[in-house]
Amino acid sequence: MFKRSSIALTAILVVVLMVMMSFALTVQAQDGGDTPPTETPSVVGAGGTQITFWNGLTGSDGVTLIEMLNGFAEDNPDIQVIVEMIAWGPLYQKLQTAFVAGTYPDVFMLHASEVPQYASYGVLRDLTDQYTSGGGWLPNDDISAITMSGMMWGDGPEIWGIPLDNHGRGLWINEDMFEAAGISTDPDSAPTTYEGWVELFQKLTLDANGNNALSPDFDPENVVQWGYTVGEWPNVNFIGALYQHGGSFLSDDGLTVTVNSEAGITALQQTVDLVYKYHVSPPSAGFDTWQAFGAGTVAVLPTGTWYRNQSLLQTDIHSRAWRNVQWGPHPATWIGIHTWMVPAGLEDPEKLDAIFRMIEWVSNNQVLWAASGQVPARLSAQAALDPENYPSNILLGQSFSEYGVQDPKTTVTQEILGYLDAELQNALNGLKDPETALNDAAELMQEALDRSQM
Amino acid sequence: MASIAQKRGTKPTGFRRLLSPDLKTREVIAAYIFLSPFLIFFTIFFIRATIASVGYSFLDWRLLRPSPPYIGLENYAELFNDHIWWDSVWHTFYFAIMTVLGTTIVGLAAALAVTRPVRGAGFMRVFLYIPQILSAGAMGLIWNWLLSGQFGVINYVLSFVGIRPVNWLGDPNLVIPALSLATIWWTFGFPMLIFIAGLQGIPGHLYEAAKIDGANGWQAFRYITLPLLRPTILFIMVTGVIAHFQVFGQPYLISGGGPGRSSWTAVIYLYNQAWVAFRMGYGAAVAMTIAIIMAVITAFQFLVISRRVEY
Amino acid sequence: MSLGKISLPNYLGTYIFLIAIGILVLFPLSIAVSQSFMTNQEVNRWPPKIIPTEPTIESYRALFTQQDIRLDLWLRNSLIATIGHTAAVLVICTPAAYAFARLQFPGNKILFSLLLVTIMIPGQVTLIPNYMLMRDLKWLDSYNALIFPGAANVFGVFLLRQFFMQVPRELEEAAVLDGCGYLGRFWHVILPLSTNAVTALGIFVFLGHFNDLFWPIIVTSTLATRTLPVGLSIMQSSYAGQYRPMILAGAVVSTLPVLIVYIIFQRRIIQGVTLTGMGGR
Repeated sequence: MFKRSSIALTAILVVVLMVMMSFALTVQAQDGGDTPPTETPSVVGAGGTQITFWNGLTGSDGVTLIEMLNGFAEDNPDIQVIVEMIAWGPLYQKLQTAFVAGTYPDVFMLHASEVPQYASYGVLRDLTDQYTSGGGWLPNDDISAITMSGMMWGDGPEIWGIPLDNHGRGLWINEDMFEAAGISTDPDSAPTTYEGWVELFQKLTLDANGNNALSPDFDPENVVQWGYTVGEWPNVNFIGALYQHGGSFLSDDGLTVTVNSEAGITALQQTVDLVYKYHVSPPSAGFDTWQAFGAGTVAVLPTGTWYRNQSLLQTDIHSRAWRNVQWGPHPATWIGIHTWMVPAGLEDPEKLDAIFRMIEWVSNNQVLWAASGQVPARLSAQAALDPENYPSNILLGQSFSEYGVQDPKTTVTQEILGYLDAELQNALNGLKDPETALNDAAELMQEALDRSQM
Repeated sequence: MASIAQKRGTKPTGFRRLLSPDLKTREVIAAYIFLSPFLIFFTIFFIRATIASVGYSFLDWRLLRPSPPYIGLENYAELFNDHIWWDSVWHTFYFAIMTVLGTTIVGLAAALAVTRPVRGAGFMRVFLYIPQILSAGAMGLIWNWLLSGQFGVINYVLSFVGIRPVNWLGDPNLVIPALSLATIWWTFGFPMLIFIAGLQGIPGHLYEAAKIDGANGWQAFRYITLPLLRPTILFIMVTGVIAHFQVFGQPYLISGGGPGRSSWTAVIYLYNQAWVAFRMGYGAAVAMTIAIIMAVITAFQFLVISRRVEY
Repeated sequence: MSLGKISLPNYLGTYIFLIAIGILVLFPLSIAVSQSFMTNQEVNRWPPKIIPTEPTIESYRALFTQQDIRLDLWLRNSLIATIGHTAAVLVICTPAAYAFARLQFPGNKILFSLLLVTIMIPGQVTLIPNYMLMRDLKWLDSYNALIFPGAANVFGVFLLRQFFMQVPRELEEAAVLDGCGYLGRFWHVILPLSTNAVTALGIFVFLGHFNDLFWPIIVTSTLATRTLPVGLSIMQSSYAGQYRPMILAGAVVSTLPVLIVYIIFQRRIIQGVTLTGMGGR
């Protein structure tokens, strides 16, 4: 139908488009590298040396951090910090794409559990020289051994990060409910066995008629006050209970997933029993734990150090912090560590100098960080905390330094925790029995771990 | 146009034709000029990117790993053997079918009501579309709250009619219907709008003729409205399936994919592989597979519905 | 549809249905608005409070005074990006739709069907390659990155093509007799007859783009370009669980611009959709 001229035109057009495409592809192959120009009011300070700092600190963490950076900028008028604060999920995406594209920030903050992943990619700067052992300013012995282990990875092992804090699992208890049930609110009176905790939760679980869960008339269908809740961050709860029973996340060589060990199954079974056997906790899904605690329908809220400021806001609920539950013979509780990291590709000496001055300033003023609710990483800062203002930071901080357990050290930690979380939820909502759930989780996690070894 | 096509035979030949274009060639040139801005942008931002992604799908590319190795179809083979993927696809089908049917029915009912000559219909036409303009974030914020098992306002309302609290987001059998319900609330406005347009396109005299023949309201709907709306329904269903098969925001924001993986959809699976595990090559293979599945569904819809239109 | 009188039971039935569906639509919206006027404690009550006992605008005040929340800048960026994107879509898609609707060129049908097929490819496919392109064009953290990717909107071409095909050919032929070329016909005949359809498309694009989240998060990193939904999502993650009323207030404020645009143009949306013939034929 069409004349040859039309076909010729079409051919020309196709060629032009293909040339354009190949052009775009070559452009892609070249190395950009420059960070985009920024003219932005989201800055701290007004100095000539600009450093960009990405982090995912949320809530009161972020507020506290900005206050601290303002203090830093006052002392260092030649530096300007451009702070990028976004939620952790999007931050991981942004950071990884930025590394691929060469548009990474000058300094960023992640968790210690991400050290292996980023270090194995070769994108991190070795920070050993910042510690006294390497001739730097940060005394190694001012950091607990547990925290220190989170900073290290590799053959040296090299030190890849500088810790800001320990944040981890603790409990917040509703003091009025404890008193009404005749239970002491003193953290040192807490049970140290599963049976002891179950009894405590049973006394604190009330049905609509006011019977507690120990009473023969207790109506589990009509609970108005729960003793406990298993819903917040199931894998964090599980990691604590797993290690309490002497289990571990990975085998010693780090190559085999061992969450489905006897200890793991016991730990999960005990958690599930709180929901379906003892009726002292609601199933996990669709239950907002903070809201329930704030509304006065949960007596014991397993959450973290970060709950401190929320508890201060919630003036009509009298609450205080307790250490994590202890179900097995060995006390254990999950901790995470907010960690400064510096990209390997950053070579500008002026910027490096500015970055390390900032990290050092914040590190030396870590006492201020307690206002976020978290526990400062440096032992000297922990010791300097005011017991009046920071009882929860001190109490939980000690437990973290003594028996804190971190996420497994692998290059695929985010991924395998995702598999674990989904299967724990299956068990906690009664969809799978604990053994099946953990076996299924272990299989998926093992596959991911094996892939990472290839 | 036929008259122009008959003019062949008098054309100049060879290269000169391009220099002295006849009417037909001028039309082709004009068409390409009109198309060129679109084609340029489409080529740069879509075709080039898609081809690059097809290439990625043959790589074992962990985002930051240097020089990812070529592994052929291995990503596709792994995907094919992953039961989590097939579960996610099933959830997506379930969600998409329920949501498309729901939005179509609610949209049609709403359109029928607001095109009737009642007072306030004009206002309702404008009002009922409002949920559609909410961002996914705002919608998720609202429904997360409404559906909460313990504090959910929906359960509170149900308690007045004596219904015990339903754990919408905790029951694997309810979570997809609950998300679907929220989505129907959010998106029925668009089908409604299209149906309003469709209904206005039906000539009024057909109904009058039907009335004279003694047809009641239901019969008029069954034998006039519905058949004449078939193309509209096809359009709604095809675009609906395409949109809802890519569902991401609702399970991500409201149920977090849970309980367990009960509300993992195809795009949640893709998101987790590409942006949590950072397996970009595998993620690209997932995206390609989703595209193929959607193409098959759409073709199937055209086949089934267009056949029924003919009867 | 007959617009004549309808019987009383029919009238009442329609009314009852409209009221019921109206309540179902209104209820979730009003709860969100109402909670934004509550205190943080009141939100955490059981049974849930529908109406605040002591309405407070504290959340809104916090929203406009909190240092890390810059609604003004976010809104400005959103408007620039969204209006720019909408304009780009219209400028790019309108002529293309005309070519597909009215001009004969080799591959017209095939090209158009191929375009339709691409609607089915999930957006995530193009994410990484386009991010790299943004880097190479030095467009990261600029409005360009928010305006141009996605400007070749296939849905837009489809919608306008449907409409242009219905413009009577006779009008164009008359213009040809007056000596109009293709551009003249497009400009003087087709476009003036299509303002409603073009506006309707513009509104759809505007509403969709304004709420876009994923891409802007990836390509913007400073307050200079960050859009309202990105800002809100950051705020949501910063204050989630702690200040629900404030987050809801943020959602309400961020919905207002879209709502205003929608209310101003709602008549044209409905007319536009009707006229494009998407509804039938």
